[in-house]
Amino acid sequence: MDLEFTEEQEAIRDMTHALLEEHSSVEVVRIAENDPRGYPDSLWKQMAEAGLVGILVPEEYGGGGLTMIDAALVYEEIGRAMAPVPHFVSGVMSAGLLLEAGSEEQKQSWLPKIASGEAILTPAWLEPGGGYGEAGIQLEAKRDGDAYVLSGTKLHVNYGGVAERLVTLARSDEGVELLLVDPDSPGVTLTHYLSQSGEPHFRVDFDGVRVPESERIGAAGSGWNTYDTVMHRGIILLAAQAIGGAARCLEETVEYTKVRIQFDKPLGAFQALAHYMADASTRIDGGRVLAHEAAWNAAEGRSIARLAPMAKLFACNTYQQSTRMCAQVWGGVAFTIEYDVQMFFRRAKEMQLSWWDTPYLEELVAADVLDD
Amino acid sequence: MDFDFSPEEQKFAEDVEQWLVDNHDPVVMDHHRENFSQLSDTPERRAFMKKLAKQGWLGMSWPKEYGGQEIEGVYEFILTEALARHAAPQIGKGVGIIGKTLIRHGSEKLKKEFLPQILNAEVEFAVGYSEPQAGSDAANMQLKAEPVEGGWLLNGQKMWTTSAHFADWYWVGARTDPDKSKHAGLSLFLIPMDHPGLEVQSLPTVGKDTTNQVFFEDVFVPSDYLVGERGKGFQYISEALDLERFTMFTLSPITNRTQVLVDYTKTATRDEKPIGEEPDTRRLVANIVTDTAVAKALSTRFLCAAKQGGKPPTVQSSQYKLFTTSLSQRVCDEALDITGAAGTIREGQEMAPLLGRFEGAYRATMNETVGGGSSEIQKNIIARRHLGLPKNF
Repeated sequence: MDLEFTEEQEAIRDMTHALLEEHSSVEVVRIAENDPRGYPDSLWKQMAEAGLVGILVPEEYGGGGLTMIDAALVYEEIGRAMAPVPHFVSGVMSAGLLLEAGSEEQKQSWLPKIASGEAILTPAWLEPGGGYGEAGIQLEAKRDGDAYVLSGTKLHVNYGGVAERLVTLARSDEGVELLLVDPDSPGVTLTHYLSQSGEPHFRVDFDGVRVPESERIGAAGSGWNTYDTVMHRGIILLAAQAIGGAARCLEETVEYTKVRIQFDKPLGAFQALAHYMADASTRIDGGRVLAHEAAWNAAEGRSIARLAPMAKLFACNTYQQSTRMCAQVWGGVAFTIEYDVQMFFRRAKEMQLSWWDTPYLEELVAADVLDD
Repeated sequence: MDFDFSPEEQKFAEDVEQWLVDNHDPVVMDHHRENFSQLSDTPERRAFMKKLAKQGWLGMSWPKEYGGQEIEGVYEFILTEALARHAAPQIGKGVGIIGKTLIRHGSEKLKKEFLPQILNAEVEFAVGYSEPQAGSDAANMQLKAEPVEGGWLLNGQKMWTTSAHFADWYWVGARTDPDKSKHAGLSLFLIPMDHPGLEVQSLPTVGKDTTNQVFFEDVFVPSDYLVGERGKGFQYISEALDLERFTMFTLSPITNRTQVLVDYTKTATRDEKPIGEEPDTRRLVANIVTDTAVAKALSTRFLCAAKQGGKPPTVQSSQYKLFTTSLSQRVCDEALDITGAAGTIREGQEMAPLLGRFEGAYRATMNETVGGGSSEIQKNIIARRHLGLPKNF
């Protein structure tokens, strides 16, 4: 039993840290907020050149072929830096779906481009009024010869405006399908809207959009199983990202309480505040190990049915609670735009609600524990 | 990175598990005693400890010259968690706090006298730090140790000495140098528990067992029963606590209780419907299971830091204790919420769900966030040593 990383893993973490420090400063993050594109080219290019975009794509498809442990380290740094990049939607989810169930031809045409950062793909998953589960997929996919005809609406399609393909979950007579949809196809309309974190969200309306059957990922009706499997891996990385954000927000808060004087002493010398921060550090350090345990189990090919949802559940709740606490410690300045704590605060809530929220994760854990 | 025990450690864990199954004895192993099950306070339980000693499982991490095997502390961790899982007495204070402190700081005489007895499970200790005026402020001990011809004369009072009513020896902190600073004026002594002038008074608790207060009236202690150096008592106490906190607050009773709660939720019904289908209950169970996994993660973190050697894993041990003890209470609290009104029935009666396991545990775990350094003390440690915040009291 040991929690040490290999030298290579530490090198990846340090490299990512240095790269993001240089190319994803808070100023860069602020500029990217509310921009419909949502990410700076220079940052994305740097990450791609460093091999970080394709970290989970096998070498034979032009990626780094690294493990979930390496990816968790990268994601903690992404969380720390609040890096505005379409990494999760493209490098983790879309690449993961293709790897899990895509045809060789689909893999050959998309994975190298995803890994190099040249193409961005993003899932089109959630729907108005729909939940996070399989039943939430109601967008119609009607068979018409060797094509599907899609009608319906998707929401929260992150980075939809820059995507070359929307990996769209749709319901056919056979079940849920995963379809690679060109957003330039006739009948597709994208509408940008603002999100709490500033990451670009799109509404995508499908009005009789024809998608050839050859663009389906996996066997007919197998889409939800594929999506569920890839999501379980993905949320482990989101847990690491949430821990990274929480850790940095706490560190900056701790430093502030060493220098901010009230009643003739530093804020950090008040037990009421010191104890909040001690509690938060305990949750963050515990949540980090749980995320690593989930990543390690995934890397070892073991079941993550319970560990993955537990890791995201705990990490995102910790991120949300600790950033609210940090805001309280900063006091009045916390709710000014000028100070950075509000940036973590907004992201924490959005992460808690995104890619499976607290009740959905709790139900995943409960089902694994209680239902035989 | 590896979340598994090594094959050797795994083999040891399996051997211990098998041995505990083979040696199961309901008189010795009683889950209803909760955190008091770790004590060797009856003839049967002392006999059990002798069997453990025969297995060579006491003092495994001690140096060979003192009868140990010089193997990694992780084996003691595995053993302690297994004993706790079976609600068996644990290797406890003798092998841990007292043995290890004597090995590091004790005189040859004390080592010769006590270490073999500890390894053979022939001696039980009580540890006396707390006093009426020294609770969380542990360094504020006032028990007076005055130098006299050939030794020391002790006068005063101790509180919360858990094992005083059955122990053979008393490991006691006392103030030898009242003119020095609070922390520098303390020394540690070993005193036979049946010494004239020592009076033990039982202090029944809301939990399952009793703790004690102990009164000292002109208790003479020969000079050579002062442990290590005069004035270093508090340093020795802190050092040992850092290393031994995991033996005082084991994880397996919590994982046990969580499992008992899960099994109950799976089978119990309310209004003829399975409670395991109630959305609120499912959420509650999901969060308890998740937090139990986090407690295990913090335990792993502590264990790995301890394995690395070097500095004692003070911060990791404080974080573990802080999180785990409050979780321990929450598991009982929420389990009672799940059982509803039936949960009010006092433990041990047929009517009570699970024979009142959680009613009893709810009371028995009350002291966990207080004893062994309260949650607030742990937070102060984390704030100062982990976050680098200024002293706050």
